[in-house]
Amino acid sequence: MKKLLAIPAYLWAVVCLLIIPVTFIRNDTFAEQLATLSFMKVHPVYSGGELNRKYQQDSLTISVNKPVSATLLGSRKQQLQVTFSQKGHLPGIIDQTIDYDFDANPDFKVTINTASGETQLTPLVSDVRSCLASSKVKEDWVIRVNLDKK
Amino acid sequence: MKKPRVYATEGSIWKSILLTFPMILLILLFTAGGPPDLSTPEKSIAFLTTFFFLITLFFLILYTGKTDRYRAIGFVTLALFFALTFIVNLIKARGSMTFSQENLLACEIPFCHIVTTMIIIPAVITNSIIFPGSIIGGFASIASMLVIVIGVSLALGRGFCSWGCFYGGWDDGTSRLAHKPRIKKVNPVFRWFSFAVLLVIALISAMTLNPAYCDWLCPFKTVTEFEKVTSFSILMKTIVFLSLFVALVIILPVLTGKRFQCTTLCPMGALLSLTNKINAFDVRINKENCSSCEKCVKACPTLSLTAEDMTAGRPSITCMKCGKCIDACTKSAIHYHIKGTPNNKNYSWARNLFLYPAFLLLVVFLGGTMQSGIILLINLIKTGNLIY
Ligand code: SF4
Repeated sequence: MKKLLAIPAYLWAVVCLLIIPVTFIRNDTFAEQLATLSFMKVHPVYSGGELNRKYQQDSLTISVNKPVSATLLGSRKQQLQVTFSQKGHLPGIIDQTIDYDFDANPDFKVTINTASGETQLTPLVSDVRSCLASSKVKEDWVIRVNLDKK
Repeated sequence: MKKPRVYATEGSIWKSILLTFPMILLILLFTAGGPPDLSTPEKSIAFLTTFFFLITLFFLILYTGKTDRYRAIGFVTLALFFALTFIVNLIKARGSMTFSQENLLACEIPFCHIVTTMIIIPAVITNSIIFPGSIIGGFASIASMLVIVIGVSLALGRGFCSWGCFYGGWDDGTSRLAHKPRIKKVNPVFRWFSFAVLLVIALISAMTLNPAYCDWLCPFKTVTEFEKVTSFSILMKTIVFLSLFVALVIILPVLTGKRFQCTTLCPMGALLSLTNKINAFDVRINKENCSSCEKCVKACPTLSLTAEDMTAGRPSITCMKCGKCIDACTKSAIHYHIKGTPNNKNYSWARNLFLYPAFLLLVVFLGGTMQSGIILLINLIKTGNLIY
């Protein structure tokens, strides 16, 4: 009986032995399959969230994303991503007033020196808190803003 | 007293060569990925050195019957070359070891296996991954690393921590620096600390949607990458992880001879301990041969063996399958074992079946890294510049 039980044990050991080379040789294939699972997407807190609206302001294209919850439970903290792009080069100074909820009232004013990265954010309503991040990302300029949930 | 021979390959050149042969083919496959690139002297030297280094280690493991002695040489080499190549590549790509806001906003941070411990609960609750990396494509993508974590957990459980982890070699190495450790007895309760860290970190990460261990604690940021200090909170984080590196990766391992960081702080170690339950290999004590000298207890770098564990006939689930206790035993009373098979026979079979996947894991991580590292060192000697 013990000998019989040892057969599946040895078989499992051989499978374990094969798993290592297969894991690495077929890594790309398995990774592609894993990436199709529904949870395999970067959380909006990191990806910046879904696009809400894109509009043109002079030569600048402004993409305003939907605010995303910055913590899991009960917190009022949110983050908002705004992307500034322009064909060719970004302007030396980006100076814009943003109405992120599109209620026709400006919510904050932002001034960015695209050479030094210096960013000044002025809240115009009480739910806008501060600038969380401001950086060139590839050809665009991205800012993330801390908000309080309305 | 001389240890009696227990493995068929021990002391037998021919049997050792015969069993090294399949590994030679695997080393060729995983270090060269086809016909080796010998197009330049640097590449030829790098390939041949790596190839013979790995073959020699595997042969010596078989021929001498000592596992940990030669595993550790490869494992520490992996940690050193990984840090060297990673840092040089970062400096080439980004100009420094620090990552910037741009890297964070563009989700370009390489995914390390330890992050797995922090993404599981949020993945279940939010149906997404709380990490600023790329899901697929690029260096160390999330999907690719998760496939490795799953595969290695299934095959080797916590064996990953002694055969594949590119950080573990740091405290494995420092724990061997002092011939005799100053602190001789370490309370085995410390082996459970990493489980507490895992629990707390997993919960905090889920609540804050932030991989808290990476952000605040990971000592290995010292030898890979870290956030540029641009604020007081980043300065605090930098002080915390540097202090942990000095304390847990250097000072305590030197003083105790134990792998303190891996044993007490690493949440991935705790998670992989749980996966020790599902793979085929473990370490067992044959009580008939055991003289209770407790040499194995003293040798274990992860506090996984106590007098009670010896009575139970096996180390605790925190065992990393490094083989140090097996090397230390003069009675051949402790050995690799395949679960479900008799405890007191077929030592050679169990050991060899374990050694192939375990050593292959080391080959996969060390093969490419060592070649790149050697090329860097050759260029350093030739040009005086590491980052050419
Ligand atoms: S019990 Fe033995 S094999 Fe396991 S970690 Fe300790 S020394 Fe290594």
